[in-house]
Amino acid sequence: MKTSTKSLDWGLTTQRLLAVAALLAIWQVVIWSGTLPSMTPGVAALASSIGAALTSATFWSALAQTMTAAVSGWLIAVAAGTVLGLLIGSVRALDRSTSILIDFGRSFPVLALMPVVIMLLGATAKMETVVVALSCLWPVLVQTIYGARRMDSAVVDTVRIFQIPALLRFRRVLLPSATPFIATGIRISASIAILVAVGVEVLSQTPGIGRQITLAQQDQRWDSAFAYLFFAGLVGWSIASLLNFAEGRILKWNRQTND
Amino acid sequence: MTETALRSAPKLETAARARRRPKAQRVRSRPARIVLDVLQRTWLIVVVFAVWWIATAESTNVFIPSLESILVSLFRDLSNGVIASGAAYSLGNLAAGLLIAVAVGIIGGLILGETKRLREIVDPVIHFFRSIPQAALVPLIIGAFGIGQGPKIYTIAFACMWPVLLNTIDGVLGVEPTIRKFSKVYRIPRGLHFRKVVLPAALPQIVAGVRVALPIGITVMVVSELFAANKGLGFYILNSSATFMVPETWAGALLVGVIGYILSLLFIVLERRILSWYFKSGAK
Repeated sequence: MKTSTKSLDWGLTTQRLLAVAALLAIWQVVIWSGTLPSMTPGVAALASSIGAALTSATFWSALAQTMTAAVSGWLIAVAAGTVLGLLIGSVRALDRSTSILIDFGRSFPVLALMPVVIMLLGATAKMETVVVALSCLWPVLVQTIYGARRMDSAVVDTVRIFQIPALLRFRRVLLPSATPFIATGIRISASIAILVAVGVEVLSQTPGIGRQITLAQQDQRWDSAFAYLFFAGLVGWSIASLLNFAEGRILKWNRQTND
Repeated sequence: MTETALRSAPKLETAARARRRPKAQRVRSRPARIVLDVLQRTWLIVVVFAVWWIATAESTNVFIPSLESILVSLFRDLSNGVIASGAAYSLGNLAAGLLIAVAVGIIGGLILGETKRLREIVDPVIHFFRSIPQAALVPLIIGAFGIGQGPKIYTIAFACMWPVLLNTIDGVLGVEPTIRKFSKVYRIPRGLHFRKVVLPAALPQIVAGVRVALPIGITVMVVSELFAANKGLGFYILNSSATFMVPETWAGALLVGVIGYILSLLFIVLERRILSWYFKSGAK
């Protein structure tokens, strides 16, 4: 679903705000009606704790810790995934030999490895980075392989006939044709990075937003737990929108990416 | 021109066959080729396993048990039913959660896909909910509703719903306008229109959405059990790590990975089944 980019459609904006207001109203009514467990915070409590979080140092440091781990893991995955993917995708034999291993890796729920990784590395930021990198690697790798493999036979023939040197071929043929796919992989893995970083923090003692959610829940401070959840969603949403926008901009020349 | 082409065809064919024959003798027979292909695809797995086996055989690090001991404890717990009951519980939760997600996602997606205004209005809300890290829901839902089976199923359903919903919307939007007009011109009743026109046309996209949802579901399944549970695969991993049964911890984590892989393979088979008409049509 694409949001229309006509930026000033006031009717739509009002209706959207109304929809959000309606959702909040339903939320409040459900709480008053008592169908939800009593600890669920009302809208007012939620709003005030969101405000409180914005001014608290704990929140900002938690956000910074989550983002640091997520971004560094993501960058490692992007670097490793692109290099490996270009290599595997352009060598037929490698592609065949690694296919089962890669299929296995991409369907592996890396968070299930958490207890093992915690045993090996402890509940540290380094461990979180490793888990994030391991999870983000697969989308980048798979997309890059796909991009490098998928080359027009006419292009392949042209390159062979003109005896284009390998380096030039890599730079001017392989890379441009694979870039849209790599970009998609990078975008998918960015969302995964946040998800996994928060997941790691929920499951272990690693500091960050996820840890704050668990702590708040254990202390029965439900309003702040929901506030942190809200921010976790907000961060994920901003990153997804930002990368979507960037991909559209950078790859304007490539019409295929817009499905 | 056609005539010459027709007349020269048999000659061409014999020439081609004649040229191919010596090559055909050099190429190995069909079974041999299959063996070679299988070898090419599997040797790396064998090497990885062998390296792992040898590298950890003499391991003195408590946290890195030898692969042999991991496999021994895995097969022991597989045969005495400890894992089987846990896996049944976990996979039951996964199936129930996925079913709810698929049902809600498809119905919601059909409605939103058909009504443009509504879709535009709730678009930001959908994208916000989709962006909430699924794992972050686990402490809240389990904290509020307890460690029973229901909360886990709801969490899985919530996390898996969004890809199905978004893909259904995309699929509905992708229905050929001509077909849509046909349905309108012939005044196909609404129910029939949804069931027989829109749903089949959107099905390939919907199935793709479920394919995205499946690994998310598996992850949430494991996370919800790793967080707090008294049963299930995640509980098996957590429990063995809490009681310092290191090989069992490794075995559990590996097993979840293998299950994830098998489920994704099964899904591909299922997809081929459901969408056989689609693949047959050669559509892309």
